[in-house]
Amino acid sequence: MPENSSPKRPKLAWEPPFIQPHRVGEINKFGRHRPREARVASVFGVDVELLKKNYGSPLFVTSEERLRANVRRIKKAFAVRWGNTCHGWSYKTNYISAVCNILHQEGSLAEVVSAFEYEKARALGVPGEMIIFNGPNKGRAILERAVAEGAQIHLDHLDELNLVEAVAAAQGRKARVALRLNFDTGYSEPWSRFGFNLESGQARQAAKLAAASPHLQLCGLHSHLGTFILEPRAYGEQVKIMCKFMREIESSEDVQIDVIDIGGGLPSMNALQSIYLPPEQVVPSINEYAEVICGTLIEETRYRSHTNRGLPKLVFESGRAVVDDAQVLITSVVGTKRLPDGRAAAVLDAGTNLLFTAYWYNHKVETTGEARGALADTVLFGPLCMNIDVVRQSVQLPPLRAGDSLVVSPVGAYNNSQWMQFIEYRPNVVLVHEDGDVSVIRAAEDLSVMMAQDRLPEHLATPFAPVRGAGCNRFDAEAEKQAKTLRPFRICRG
Amino acid sequence: MTDSLLAGALSQCSGDRLRQLAVSDTGFVFDPQTGQSFTVNATGRLVLDCLKRSDGLEEAAQCLAEDCDVPLELALSSVEAFLMQLGRYL
Amino acid sequence: MRNWRHWKVAVTGINAHAENPGPGLAVARCLVEHREFRGSVLGLAYDALDAGLYDHDNCQSSYLIPYPSAGDEALLERIKVIHSLEGIDAVIPCLDSELQNFISLRSELADLGIQMLIPSRDQFNLRAKNHLVDLCSKIGVAVPRSKMLTDPGFFDRAAREGFEYPLVVKGVFYDAAIVYNAFEAKAAFSRLVGKWGYPCLVQEVVNGDELNLAGVGDGRGNLTGFVMMRKRAVTDKGKAWAGVTVVDEALHATASKLVRALAWRGPLEVEVIKGTDGKIYLIEINPRFPSWIYLSHAVDRNLPVAVLRMLAGEKDLQLTQHEPGTFFIRHARELIVNLKDFESVLVNGYCGGDAVDRSA
Ligand SMILES: Cc1ncc(COP(=O)(O)O)c(C=O)c1O
Repeated sequence: MPENSSPKRPKLAWEPPFIQPHRVGEINKFGRHRPREARVASVFGVDVELLKKNYGSPLFVTSEERLRANVRRIKKAFAVRWGNTCHGWSYKTNYISAVCNILHQEGSLAEVVSAFEYEKARALGVPGEMIIFNGPNKGRAILERAVAEGAQIHLDHLDELNLVEAVAAAQGRKARVALRLNFDTGYSEPWSRFGFNLESGQARQAAKLAAASPHLQLCGLHSHLGTFILEPRAYGEQVKIMCKFMREIESSEDVQIDVIDIGGGLPSMNALQSIYLPPEQVVPSINEYAEVICGTLIEETRYRSHTNRGLPKLVFESGRAVVDDAQVLITSVVGTKRLPDGRAAAVLDAGTNLLFTAYWYNHKVETTGEARGALADTVLFGPLCMNIDVVRQSVQLPPLRAGDSLVVSPVGAYNNSQWMQFIEYRPNVVLVHEDGDVSVIRAAEDLSVMMAQDRLPEHLATPFAPVRGAGCNRFDAEAEKQAKTLRPFRICRG
Repeated sequence: MTDSLLAGALSQCSGDRLRQLAVSDTGFVFDPQTGQSFTVNATGRLVLDCLKRSDGLEEAAQCLAEDCDVPLELALSSVEAFLMQLGRYL
Repeated sequence: MRNWRHWKVAVTGINAHAENPGPGLAVARCLVEHREFRGSVLGLAYDALDAGLYDHDNCQSSYLIPYPSAGDEALLERIKVIHSLEGIDAVIPCLDSELQNFISLRSELADLGIQMLIPSRDQFNLRAKNHLVDLCSKIGVAVPRSKMLTDPGFFDRAAREGFEYPLVVKGVFYDAAIVYNAFEAKAAFSRLVGKWGYPCLVQEVVNGDELNLAGVGDGRGNLTGFVMMRKRAVTDKGKAWAGVTVVDEALHATASKLVRALAWRGPLEVEVIKGTDGKIYLIEINPRFPSWIYLSHAVDRNLPVAVLRMLAGEKDLQLTQHEPGTFFIRHARELIVNLKDFESVLVNGYCGGDAVDRSA
């Protein structure tokens, strides 16, 4: 734009002309008003533009300090009320190696749900005994390893129970197992596809079988209610039901339950699209949860003091509550447009490929530059060629320009694991250390990463195969030479 | 934009039709024929003013290009888009 | 502190949808028509079509404020602006969905000299739809069978769970529908969830008379003032269309019990059904005045004025004897709005009888 071609200031600031009709039910210019424009120059103490310059855009920025503080705070809430407490880090929530190791350093077990996650935990140096192996699909090979290494295996169905028993028998060992249970607390929809159902008697049957097996040591009960549970009383009911079941099977079978694992599900300060009020108004404090959970546990295990049984260890597997606000995403505006209905729109270099959670959260979006113009209802699109690639359907932002940086938060939970590789490379993930240093904890992908797993059969080695036969070669020598140097295979070998 | 679409929009937004609109300094627009109200931005107001004086599309674009100091082609294509929008609403 | 008679009182919920009016305008009428009140009412609205914005007889001037979903900070910022222009003495919030924001802002607003007679967050939560059953079973008040829902699959197995159609499906904040089968139920569920988010409440229908009590709790367990009304005719949505003041000791006892258990502070509405068996079933407790509150002025128990007196620290609220037999019939009428006022609301978010420039 020839702003510099003329020295005089334009009479009017340029903006494409538009007119917007007033529609019933949404006529309130203060309606989505935000308390001053949310603007940040730095994230976790580091300048946004500097981060962008050094590590590119988009960029995930993780805070070691916040992550450690979060897990300590949540653990403390439980530990002060129930001494024997342990956190299991749910790998699926964010399995960047550095994130896992920070949490392991804080004393968290590894809670894994697949062969890949199991192998990853072991590769990071987590011993088998510190692994909780959950999930509905555990193949024989990985179970052989888990049994040999002494992991605690949470059984999901009867076939798995039989398989673990067979594996343990073959090794001449006794596998440590827990039963994953599902039941109705009356507060949240039961996730009845996982584990053994309690109401139908399946769980009793599984407990009987496990207790009777010489190769299984039934040591724990597990259940996971769901995620983003906003009702502390749901956990109270959960603990009550699990304790009752514990008492039942301990009296009818020869078992001793040492672990009550209540799964995850604690909410983070993120705004669910399906909830009308903002999270500050609807998310209860961690202490409210801990109070109900531990209070019920104390109540429901009181009888044990009259028996020779000890008190069980309380395991919780909080994922999103631990990591969500310990990570933000820096993204840049690639271009702007005005939609036919009058709304402002911007295309960003990050979309639902990196922010899977944008499908159910209204993430907070902050600008970084200097203040500029009045806030307006804006749609934020991602870079994908998919209509559903929308980061925010509606957010109040000042007029945006190409190159502007935006900070999206909180994004720590489920994005670094559920992100998808569709037409774009995945970007750098950096960690802001406790001393303020910054380092890459997952390097950006490039072509070699993307092609490393491709294999080309001999006859597809070049894109333009010369057609054999005298007189019909459609390529001249030059083209053929070029095609050879283009062989994709060479790139990933190099 | 196809010429026929634009022609349609232009015939909708004849000077007479536009002159009916009550446009205030605040950007509040009221259409007495349909009873619909609108908000128009500052550049839109400028273009409306030009068109109401029955300036043609080119003159309006010229005006816009000068006041905002942008290239004429940019102004012209935005005025066309604006007219299409008006054509839908009026 | 200024004498309450001269206060400027901000009132929300001044929408007046003909089928389902908010309580704000009725509260405003109670104040301005009270013989001792010399102050004025300031309307706080959420949409340019909220009638109170243009009803200068009742709201001297009015302002648009952010939607409750924008959060408390946005609200505080807007109220500060309005306060600097108008000088507000008290706010009477009249909508469920905004109350949590006002609760968060209680001390900030008090620091600005703005008072509110509203419950604490705990009190507010305990009477919420999802805690009501617990509360009632603790203090021995009957409630229809109910359940919180996030999964519409419930409606197919309702019978197995012991629920019989017809059922009432209710949104978290507002709105309800009576449904007669799973198909209707799911449609109502998705409509309510789409508008107000999760969860929904499903409740069994109890047959009997609908009785309501509007009252004010003093925060120490006493139901300070109250008016009881029986609905005589309802709209398609079950909203009162005509009603009459009654004296029902069982309802009064139930409401007093609830107010004592909650130590409720502020206005409330207790909705019950008096079953054919004579038993009182609690339907819900609304944390604000009902839209029929003007009836309290008519029977000389002006409850909005009682709120001001309580905020001013008066002990004797001078409420007369509670008399039965005063009717109301709700009717709609057109308010004339001139284009200038409408424009001012759209452009400045303000509308008033005077000519002060309030563009913020
Ligand atoms: C078994 C189990 N534990 C823990 C979690 C972590 O859940 P959240 O992030 O909601 O705390 C999950 C998540 O799906 C899970 O399936």
